Amino acid sequence: MKPSAFEYVRATSVDDAISALSQHGDEARLLAGGQSLIAMMNTRLAEPKVLVDIGRLSDLSYIRVDGDALSIGALTTHNTVLQSAEVAAHCPLVSAAYANVAHHTVRNRGTLGGNLCHNDPASEMPLVASLLDAELVLRGSGGERRVAAEDFFVDTFHTAAHADEILTEIRFARQGAGEGWAFEVVSQLKGDYAIVAAGCRFAMVDGVCRGVRLGFVGAGPAIKRVAAAETALEGQPVNGATIAAVAEAAVGAVDPHADMHADVQYKLDLVQALSERVLKQAASRAV
Amino acid sequence: MAKMPVSITVNGQRYEREVDPRLLLSDFIRHEIGLTGTHVGCENGACGVCAVLINGKTGLSCLAFAVQCDGDEIETIESLGTPSDLHPIQEAFWENHGLQCGFCTPAMVLTAHELLSRNASPSRAEIIEAIGGNLCRCTGYQTIVDSIEQAAEQMRAGKEEAA
Amino acid sequence: MTTTMDPRIPPSRQREKPGQDLKWIGKGIRRVEDPRLLTGRGKYVDDVVLPNSLHAAALGSPHAHARIKSIDVSKARALPGVAAVLTGEDVAKSTGPLPCFSNPPTEQRCVAIDRVRHVGEPVAIVAAESRYVAEDALALIEVEYEELPVVMDAAEAVHATGDAVIHPERGETNVAIHRVFEFGDVDDDFAAADAVIKRKLRWPRSGAQPMETCGATAVFDEGEGKFTIHVNSSMYNYVGWLIAVTLGVPVHKLNLVPTLAGGSFGSKLFIHKVPVIAAVLARECGRPVKYLEDRIDNMTACDHHGSDRIYDCELALDADRRMTSMKCTVIDDYGAYFQFGIGHHGNALSQITGPYQIGSVKVDITAVFTNKCQQGAYRGFGSEVSNYVMERMVDAACAELDLDPVAFRKTNFIQPDQFPYFIPTGNLYDSGNYPAVLDKALDLLDYDGWRQKQKDALAEGRYIGIGLATCQERSVFSSTEFWSLNDEAGFALTSSPEGVSIKIDPTGNAVVSLQAPFWGNSPETMATMVLAEKLTIDPANISITYADTDHGVSGTGPGGSRYTVMLAGAIVGAVDTIKDKLFKIAGHLMEADTADLELRDGAVGLKGVPGKEMTIADLAMQAHFFRLSFPDEPGFDTGLDATTTYDHPLTTMPSEDRKDLGIYYPIMGHMCHMPVVEVDIKTGQVKFLDYVAVHDCGTMVNPKTLAGHIRGGTAQGIGTALYEEYKYDANGQLQNASFMDYLVPTAHEIPANMRIGHVETPSPFTEYGIKGGGEGGRMGAPPALAAAIEDALKPLGVKADFLPLTPAKLRGLIREAEAS
Repeated sequence: MKPSAFEYVRATSVDDAISALSQHGDEARLLAGGQSLIAMMNTRLAEPKVLVDIGRLSDLSYIRVDGDALSIGALTTHNTVLQSAEVAAHCPLVSAAYANVAHHTVRNRGTLGGNLCHNDPASEMPLVASLLDAELVLRGSGGERRVAAEDFFVDTFHTAAHADEILTEIRFARQGAGEGWAFEVVSQLKGDYAIVAAGCRFAMVDGVCRGVRLGFVGAGPAIKRVAAAETALEGQPVNGATIAAVAEAAVGAVDPHADMHADVQYKLDLVQALSERVLKQAASRAV
Repeated sequence: MAKMPVSITVNGQRYEREVDPRLLLSDFIRHEIGLTGTHVGCENGACGVCAVLINGKTGLSCLAFAVQCDGDEIETIESLGTPSDLHPIQEAFWENHGLQCGFCTPAMVLTAHELLSRNASPSRAEIIEAIGGNLCRCTGYQTIVDSIEQAAEQMRAGKEEAA
Repeated sequence: MTTTMDPRIPPSRQREKPGQDLKWIGKGIRRVEDPRLLTGRGKYVDDVVLPNSLHAAALGSPHAHARIKSIDVSKARALPGVAAVLTGEDVAKSTGPLPCFSNPPTEQRCVAIDRVRHVGEPVAIVAAESRYVAEDALALIEVEYEELPVVMDAAEAVHATGDAVIHPERGETNVAIHRVFEFGDVDDDFAAADAVIKRKLRWPRSGAQPMETCGATAVFDEGEGKFTIHVNSSMYNYVGWLIAVTLGVPVHKLNLVPTLAGGSFGSKLFIHKVPVIAAVLARECGRPVKYLEDRIDNMTACDHHGSDRIYDCELALDADRRMTSMKCTVIDDYGAYFQFGIGHHGNALSQITGPYQIGSVKVDITAVFTNKCQQGAYRGFGSEVSNYVMERMVDAACAELDLDPVAFRKTNFIQPDQFPYFIPTGNLYDSGNYPAVLDKALDLLDYDGWRQKQKDALAEGRYIGIGLATCQERSVFSSTEFWSLNDEAGFALTSSPEGVSIKIDPTGNAVVSLQAPFWGNSPETMATMVLAEKLTIDPANISITYADTDHGVSGTGPGGSRYTVMLAGAIVGAVDTIKDKLFKIAGHLMEADTADLELRDGAVGLKGVPGKEMTIADLAMQAHFFRLSFPDEPGFDTGLDATTTYDHPLTTMPSEDRKDLGIYYPIMGHMCHMPVVEVDIKTGQVKFLDYVAVHDCGTMVNPKTLAGHIRGGTAQGIGTALYEEYKYDANGQLQNASFMDYLVPTAHEIPANMRIGHVETPSPFTEYGIKGGGEGGRMGAPPALAAAIEDALKPLGVKADFLPLTPAKLRGLIREAEAS
């Protein structure tokens, strides 16, 4: 189990990396933490001709509050995010979700940006980005642009980033004070990819939910947020009836696929059960 | 592909080599410089057996290329104790039967080492979280957790004594 | 003990009686093996580095069943850095089939010749300057296949014909063997039964998956015409010579050198394909060749997948709720080859009726071929499955007849005064005290307390279950197990010895040569403790080595929980020889009768006279260098050493008609496992709240290492019960050939604080009364967990008749129960 040969380029700056990507086109892949890419290369599921290593671009590793956003540099490692007091304070949903992402040693090297760009359908972070209305800042030879999370995650292992673009920053919307939120994961082994995960957040205004964000991992290849379920809760209080309505809407809207670990009905059961759990938990947090 | 020069410090000694870009750090450590205490279990990032310390933090040496680590400081199990002068963590693993076949042990010990360097008094839950990615097929883990807990105690006591 | 009264029971050869005042045996000393393992100084197979070595890789078949029409290796051979590329036909010019212990054998080649029978089976092998280049070469090999019908379902395999027959040379069928064994009057017992319990049970295909894969480094010395192979296999001093037969060299032209093994759990019992591949390439290239399986190789083609069985069972009970008879029809999916025949069922038949008084039993066994990796050995070797089946049937009886699972077991147990006890198959249980083990477990767990907590939890809508399994752990196999179930016995060997060589150096230190490898057990610690005990020397003065086949004597090695018992027997014998010589020398020098001498604290002393003694060190110096100080008699010849072989302590032949299998697995351990779990009925997830395991392995040598086996085996049993399964799709693709998807439990998934208890019922037949204990955890945890889960879901009426009970599968059962 050894990778195919490749040419290795260590980028010294974002511009340097962009020019390497421009030069090599589809033959090149960016190497950040490498925790997914190198595993795929070792089994030769990925055989890039050129690796552009951006792992040393330490100016892309930061966490800072920026107005209404919490900005995280794309090369910030998972553990840095997980252990950050600022993240816990401004985007507790991120911290909670991260508790289930991989294992400590992988989190030491894996990066938030790498994870989002990999867009594994079983990964929690793309959902978290969607729930937090994240903007993804991309830089390429054509300059910089911002893409909303909803538009960035196109399909399994596929994002809106162009071949010559680098994700430089993720801008999460800061969660409001008193916001209700929750994140729940079902996996077989802790730290494994989720079979189904669910997350939600909303503001509680005069006893009813506003700005509802509700979505799932494992609910379908390109499904993150589920509009029908969000609509069912928008403007409603959280009670037995609305929880049931939201869960029913969610189960009706998702399109999970069977895999070797779980059949479709099981995933639907989890969508149902986790919808109920995240709503209850979120409601208990909301003030 | 052309070989590339790398300079990697392993256990305090600098090694300068010309390597293929695709050479995994695990193979660099084992084959290029002959430190065979670092083991390889799956080459897929899923077993944790090959973990070493990269700039003070655990990293899987099967999920890193040697060229990526140019200029880095690596620590392997050989940097810790010796058979006649065990590190307190190793001593605790010995005392608590925290190993059987020994194949996962170097990575377990290094993972414990990193944990105790950032958290001198970890709870059992924190210990389990730290080693959650390190598979062990022999022990059932409980005695490994016991070992790390005891090592933490003894290292704290050692520090107090020194102070 | 009246062991010699029954003429069917050979007299005990026990020399060291249990219950002595012992200095080392029974103490939880730290392991001798550990300092080098803890510091990364242990030498495993990939740590053998020979100058000028090449590295091998094997091209695994992408098809489960296909004819190989053509192979073009020209591009691979032309790749710079490639030394050799060999197809099956190339290999067959010099090399024969791999060793096979079934009769008739299946022909398996290290590289397939004309047909592949499972995904991952090697179709070509490469030696190159590095493993990287070798894998590059694999990608350049072009193979044309003609796909054949794929046989994946064991029940359907029975009916396969034509191209779906996997070994046509054995006849037009995929049934490898079908036999019915009946012991006692099963029909009568069922006719007289008051109740009959029926269940269909499914045991899934899992595997040992040690953290280290199999590997070998081979050298061929053309001058001597001799191979040297460093390999992490066991049994090399038993059946390693068969590798020479495969390689086509005289047996003395092969030296197998053991390395440390990074875990085995049975799966490195006898590695054949890997060393042969390395050797074939080494001979071809004239350079050392290392072949180390990668994880995919190991998962798809390690030749050691575990049992894979479908059971149909019936249990007969009388009006007093005593079990009287059991019938099982079992289909066992053996995969593509049949290396050990149905030895796994021989293993199971040694304790098929569990710890219970059941008078008759009938087992209808159908072993089938399918297009999967073949079965080998995995901790339990088939008996873990029969434990599961027996305990599931007991639980089913309790559930259907509304009986208390504790009381029912106590009623049906073989009682302490009934040993030695013959079970219907003819195997003997040497000793035991099953009620004591159960009582200790109930007490340790606070069973009544948990029953109350269970009630309270249910009132809150939480589903807690308490599992109970009381199982056997047969130990110390005799080799009749391997062939007694064959239609034709074949090579009906009856030896399964363990040897040891002990040399006392001139300064009184001991060097012990073992004949079997370290594979994660504690052979050095066991040898050190027994030798220190018997020779009264300090463990610090003992060192342990592993004899290769050039220097070794007979040794069967670990497996079937036999090694500690057998090694102790060998050491006791060797020390008796050394002791005789020490006494002779001391007697001469001290002018004392040898009958008046004793070993004490590293010296030979005159009984009853403190201070009148000579140290072993002084006597050893005399033995090695002062021949003229002694009479010119052979007993005084120079040196102080002994090589001893210990044969199986208690075994007899099976009867011709196989109505009596003889005594072949008599050193009988026992266990009680009691997990407490909580099931999340919405997600099907299972969480541990508590876990107690009490084991009786006879006299304990080292409680620390025994507890290690129990905990580790239990973790594997948890894997089998809840997570692990090799998942083949209908086309024979192994879908989860990595640790990403083959789910080995992590530290998160096992009980946080598993409590261990011990009961010691010594064996009357082994030295010091030791019994084996290496496999127990995995032989008890699966039925205990199934019981705990079923108990938790009792209010819903869920039956758990298969494993693994993954969240999805368990939720499926709950959903069905909720619907009905």
